[in-house]
Amino acid sequence: MKTGSMIRSSDHDFLTRVKESEEDTFAQKAVAKAQDAQWIKREGARRELGNWEDWRKLGEQIRQHTVRYLPDYLEEFSDNVESNGGHVFFAQTDIEARDFITNLAREKQVKHVVKSKSMVTTEIGIDEALLEIPGMELLETDLAEFILQQDDWDQPTHLVFPALHKNRDQVREVFMEKLGYEGDNDPQHLARFARKVMRKRFLENEMSITGCNFAVADNGMINLDTNEGNADLCMAIPKIQVVCMGMERIVPGMREAETIDNMLARSAVGQKITTYCTFTSRQVDGESDGPEEFYVVIIDNGRSNALGTDFEPILQCIRCASCLNVCPVYRHIGGHGYGSIYPGPVGSILSPVLQGNYDDFAELPYACSLCTACTSTCPVKIPLHKLLLKHREIEMDDIHQSKLIDDVVMRVVGLGTGHSSLFRTALGLDHLAMAPLARKGPEAAKNLYSDDKHVEWMPFVFGGWTKVRDLPDPPAHSKNFRSWFKTHKPADVDPKIAKHTAQREQEIQAERKA
Amino acid sequence: MTDREVFLNNIAEKARRPRHQLKDNPLVPVNDLPETTLSGKTQDELLEIAKANSTAVNVNLQVTTKVDLPAVLDDFIRDKITNNEDDPYQANDHNHLLLPTSELYADFGLESWRDGLTDPAPTFWKPGAGRTTNITTAEHAGAAIAFADYLLAESCSITTATTPGQGRAFHFLPVHYLAIVRKSRILPRSRQAMDRYDKAIKAGELKTSNINIITGPSNTGDIEMVLVVGVHGPLDMTYLVVSDM
Repeated sequence: MKTGSMIRSSDHDFLTRVKESEEDTFAQKAVAKAQDAQWIKREGARRELGNWEDWRKLGEQIRQHTVRYLPDYLEEFSDNVESNGGHVFFAQTDIEARDFITNLAREKQVKHVVKSKSMVTTEIGIDEALLEIPGMELLETDLAEFILQQDDWDQPTHLVFPALHKNRDQVREVFMEKLGYEGDNDPQHLARFARKVMRKRFLENEMSITGCNFAVADNGMINLDTNEGNADLCMAIPKIQVVCMGMERIVPGMREAETIDNMLARSAVGQKITTYCTFTSRQVDGESDGPEEFYVVIIDNGRSNALGTDFEPILQCIRCASCLNVCPVYRHIGGHGYGSIYPGPVGSILSPVLQGNYDDFAELPYACSLCTACTSTCPVKIPLHKLLLKHREIEMDDIHQSKLIDDVVMRVVGLGTGHSSLFRTALGLDHLAMAPLARKGPEAAKNLYSDDKHVEWMPFVFGGWTKVRDLPDPPAHSKNFRSWFKTHKPADVDPKIAKHTAQREQEIQAERKA
Repeated sequence: MTDREVFLNNIAEKARRPRHQLKDNPLVPVNDLPETTLSGKTQDELLEIAKANSTAVNVNLQVTTKVDLPAVLDDFIRDKITNNEDDPYQANDHNHLLLPTSELYADFGLESWRDGLTDPAPTFWKPGAGRTTNITTAEHAGAAIAFADYLLAESCSITTATTPGQGRAFHFLPVHYLAIVRKSRILPRSRQAMDRYDKAIKAGELKTSNINIITGPSNTGDIEMVLVVGVHGPLDMTYLVVSDM
């Protein structure tokens, strides 16, 4: 059963995508600016809340518990949606989910659909499928998604700020060309123009498609967080609402939803709570707006590949994107560099899991410096860097994905460091071998050695290092650590310390024997 | 579509954990931070916290008394609709005042105020009037005055459960918006509001399909992360606390 078949956002290979991202200097600056701004807002909001590490423990517990008992919670939720008069459909693949929604639109003769931002709807390729229905008009109503749609369905670059890579002039150009906009490039004016266009379309629509931040198991409601309010209009005006949810996006009750909503808003945008936080279900008797028909599509699409494996914690994710916002690799290659609709650390882990193989995303677990900033910031304590390492381990040791250059390099390094004679030879020759490339120059960082030379260019794969930072020139053999160590004797130890050390060693020995 | 049992069994098999173990393993939270954060404050202290937080979320938080309430509402209507010289209400497409249908007018002493409104004549979200009528009325409203259930101090949010007389779009389609809330209904955080709604729904005391927590006007940072207020919903928000209720 093929899953995750529509999550690729580019046909180009990884290195081409990285090169394209490097050339997009505006996007790079925009990402850096966003990361820096979000750092201040996010950390400020967490500090103001207080006890953040204990909140993280609670967030982790709620998400771990829910994933652990996922079938029971999904059963409870679907029973409650049905008892509220709604309908639940289970889809194991993206194609199943997509076909259900397009068939529903055909059956109900829907011609106007509005959508609120949802990664899972992108994951199932619903936009393209709906637009194949003759006469269908589809509108993305989140401002960023609206901009991307008008720009011929450009791909999102960030989970929370999908149009981060576009500047105001580009947005203005798109609005002028596609919508007849005649104003300036002021974001306020552009947004007000978009409001008018979208409001008119909102009032015409018959069906909405929304995502779901969290499904509430014990009452069958869904919980949505937005700042624009577009999701609320999607849930108020049309007669039919279709909710797409990844199967793990569920919590036991409203109390747990509220806890996670608070952590999500602080982690994603540094707010205490999003401007609109809504709990909703099918219209009840006496109400005049809201959906008369309420469908929830619960989607697996490869998520279950993580269950019972080391990757299970990735299902704890609440899509706050704070791991993207601290990632040094994301800072340089942006969302498009990853080539998946799910970028950043979470995307590098999730994308191969959803597909159940490494065919399309073999390089992503290597798009990581292992700085662990993602793990430290994750509000629900997903050990992101460990999961990236686990992917590498599987690729190298279990499935021998040897097309990777790293495999060759690591084999050579393994050979060299595994044989003492080869290692000693390498240490004796490295200074000489690098000498033609080394140069003296202003120091970017203090070198350890007296000649203060450094290397700015190296050939082949090693150029990946010297392209972005200098490499200190290895010391001459007579000055390297091993030579230094041989000629130095330990300093005289204070008798009191020596006595204490001896005592401690005896204690350790006794403990071991016990 | 996949049969529910097939779908859920597949999850259980892949996780290598049998189904239906939850009843013996309920969630017992590791701490009570959601309840204890900002707890133990008086209503006066909570009001001050809400005021302090209002600026950051672009909320105009006002405090009045029950006796002064009608005059404050008249000022709001003049400010947002009748005296708006930049956009004369008689000529624009948003020339109504939208009000809920509610028994709360009597509680707030607003029945005679409501019945005396003439310019602009009020329109109401009417139970039984139907989707199209109520949505069209809301779309043409220059301003709406709502009754909120609670005010949350920590985030300066109001909360409201949808009723037949105050629908979902009531809070989103009008150009300007004001919500009235009693001072006694100020709660520390969203946790306390969720507790109350959860209990009321489960006890059958509250029949609603929708609960909104609203924290200021609609906004976005989607273009170069520049904050723009008023993308989809009302362009501004006033929360009016009635201090002697």
